[in-house]
Amino acid sequence: MSILVTGIGIISAIGNNVNENRTSLINKASGITTLSLFNSRYAGLRPCGEIKIETTALKNRLNAFEKGVTRSSLLALHAFDEAVADAKLSLSQLQHPRTALIGASTVGGMCLTDELYHDANKTEDGSEYLSSYDCASVNLYLQERYKTGGIVNTINTACSSSANAIIYGARLLKQGYADIAIVGGTDSLAKFTINGFNALHILSPDPCTPFDRDRKGLNLGEAAAFLVLEKEENTKGKTVYAKIAGYGNSNDAFHPSSLSDAGDGPYLAMQQALSEAGLHPGSISYINAHGTATENNDAVESEAMLRLFGEVPDFASTKGYTGHTLGAAGAVEAVYSVLSLFYQEVYPNLNFQQPIENKELIPVPEYKKKSLRHVMSNSFGFGGNCSSLIFSTV
Amino acid sequence: MFIHHNKCISPQQTFEKTDWEVLHESVENKLKAIEPSYEGIPPGVLRRMGKAVRMGVGCALPVLQGVQADGIIIGTANGGMEDCIKFLNQIIDYEEGMLTPGNFVQSTPNVIAAQLGLMTRNKRYNITHVHRGLAFENAMLDASMMLHENPQAVYLLGAVDEISAYNYNIDHLNGWYKKEPVKSRNLYSSITEGSLAGEGAVMFTVSNQETNAVAKVKGFDTLHTTNEHTVKEALAAFLKKHLHADEKPGIFFTGENGDNRMLKYYSAAESVFDEATTIARFKHMSGEFETASAMALWLACNLPDRLPAHCIKKEGAANSAGNIIIYNNYKGVQHAFICVQKPVNNKE
Amino acid sequence: MEITEKEQLKQQLKQQIIQFLNLTNVKPEDIKDDQPLFGEGLGLDSIDSIELIVLLSREYGITIQDPKEGRKVLVDINTMVDYIIQHRTK
Repeated sequence: MSILVTGIGIISAIGNNVNENRTSLINKASGITTLSLFNSRYAGLRPCGEIKIETTALKNRLNAFEKGVTRSSLLALHAFDEAVADAKLSLSQLQHPRTALIGASTVGGMCLTDELYHDANKTEDGSEYLSSYDCASVNLYLQERYKTGGIVNTINTACSSSANAIIYGARLLKQGYADIAIVGGTDSLAKFTINGFNALHILSPDPCTPFDRDRKGLNLGEAAAFLVLEKEENTKGKTVYAKIAGYGNSNDAFHPSSLSDAGDGPYLAMQQALSEAGLHPGSISYINAHGTATENNDAVESEAMLRLFGEVPDFASTKGYTGHTLGAAGAVEAVYSVLSLFYQEVYPNLNFQQPIENKELIPVPEYKKKSLRHVMSNSFGFGGNCSSLIFSTV
Repeated sequence: MFIHHNKCISPQQTFEKTDWEVLHESVENKLKAIEPSYEGIPPGVLRRMGKAVRMGVGCALPVLQGVQADGIIIGTANGGMEDCIKFLNQIIDYEEGMLTPGNFVQSTPNVIAAQLGLMTRNKRYNITHVHRGLAFENAMLDASMMLHENPQAVYLLGAVDEISAYNYNIDHLNGWYKKEPVKSRNLYSSITEGSLAGEGAVMFTVSNQETNAVAKVKGFDTLHTTNEHTVKEALAAFLKKHLHADEKPGIFFTGENGDNRMLKYYSAAESVFDEATTIARFKHMSGEFETASAMALWLACNLPDRLPAHCIKKEGAANSAGNIIIYNNYKGVQHAFICVQKPVNNKE
Repeated sequence: MEITEKEQLKQQLKQQIIQFLNLTNVKPEDIKDDQPLFGEGLGLDSIDSIELIVLLSREYGITIQDPKEGRKVLVDINTMVDYIIQHRTK
């Protein structure tokens, strides 16, 4: 049974919808800027992929005035609405018991770092966000808003979260637990994550340079992306972007916050995705790499790609456009991979100059048209949680 | 799906020497877990672990002894909440100055599954479900799908959540815990809003192998609704799907939690059963937390021959447990049913 | 600085390290002055090294920006104490 992508939606630092995102990717227009929408000591010091729409403006735009709605939820709603409209799903389809909603988030309502500090440490005078801090709050909000009828789940495997949400949704369809799965992820910028990654000394003071020898770390970003998945037999007459051909999930089992030199986790995840898809390494025509631009990730991912592919296919990281959007990254890059396939084009890697010593891998430098059959998308997270997806043309 | 090895760290005597008759009481409206000494965790690793991670890992290691699990599947609403807020407090207290990253690394909910992968050198499937009151049920669905995909496999399936000073504050401010002091033994006679806080870790190995299994999970279902009639209809449909027409469940095990706003759901659910079925409750043992239903499942797997009186709400006519139906709801929105079958008890 | 003062500082630093890194099973006297902090010695890792740099900042007002500098300082108790004596601002 084939699982097809029939709708996509995205909001990120390079665009408020799918078309804007694609245009930015084609034009090498990065969304990495100075933080301007919230106060942080690092606003001027650590560039981020910030969506330049204030939270109140998002509420107005989405007509979302429920109590306690956070920026993470609003971004999710934005992308969810676009994906659902794109797939032409009706409200009654959303409310059907066989329509699943599988989302991912790592920040959830913790984007409200100061409010959370207050509510967690005081014993009276709680804010309106008391039910909004956890990761599940996002999907519970979407469920409540549309009264979605089927299985609802939230996954958190750090930076591979939404890749796993996509996998979970595809498996629900394959095993008959749902007919439609709306899958994706969201994360907004937060003092919490900026300070966390900064404390680990892996935030770059400059726009990030994935796979470059002199990379200085990652830029954080915020985004949400959703995909509508349907079984092939239910998609007659619909626009179909791609099919989910394979997926893999593996743990690197090496260190809480860094990957092993040999990259066993990334290697096994990619290998498993290939085997699930019944493909040989040579059949992959493009890889949307995780490529966070940290010292550790890019060296390890390069090593794992070299181990698996020998001759590494065209690859690029899109983190130079959006920043690392954490729990949303897997879904954001799944949308980009699907767009690559649909339009038969490859998006370039920004800010690359010199290859990493001993790896000598050069990511795609310029936008190009290319005949593509199978695209791989990688997502690796803290805790060694590695996932890889393969999308194919239908 | 069959349950084999299983362990539970809870506010009751469940981990080392299980004893259902000794009832540990709540203190200041909290039922805190009785933590073991964690001898299996090297001190160098233990020092970094917050309570949730410690309980999860400490509970899982004995379950995994001698088992090469094909995957680690954990449900937890918050993971290490304590570490999360410690880091948050540093951010504010030190005005985003130099911060220690240890709490940040430990604060992500996937740390329990990740740490287990690391400690048992398990590079296979590894995932964390965090869907609040249905985090465990979604983990269970994942395990069940994995067993369908890999029929010979064995998975670690578990759930963990902790009481931290912080999530207690937040839920207390939000009215989910009782404002007046209530002892856990009097939980069900309380007529006010809110429940008692609880915590714990539960770990199972699950497979398709019936031999030596302690219980079979015949089915489970989840739903999101605030309507008690919808819950009742869904439960009736659930029973019809998993039981034969003449099969009466021995025990209906509910998550009734002393919160007067939740009673309508439990009453509606109880009305589905007749006098054959014993109605029993567990939240006076576990307290209320997002993955408490995992503890209910563990209790169902380890039922003594006679259910202790403190669990029984209404004694039924059926003299053997047979099928046990668990119903839990979290905050009146997230509902779950589990149908468990114990091996037939031939003692009578 | 008097030898005794230096010894006192060593004792204080050991206690701070134990507390900061939550080394619950280690007593100050278990840490030898020339015992490597990382790897085979005390068994600390990369996250601990960042935590120790924060310790130096909070307790002694010492700012270490360059990780290479950090590696030179965080060798053992002796190297840390010598560095603290030279660079402390509080």
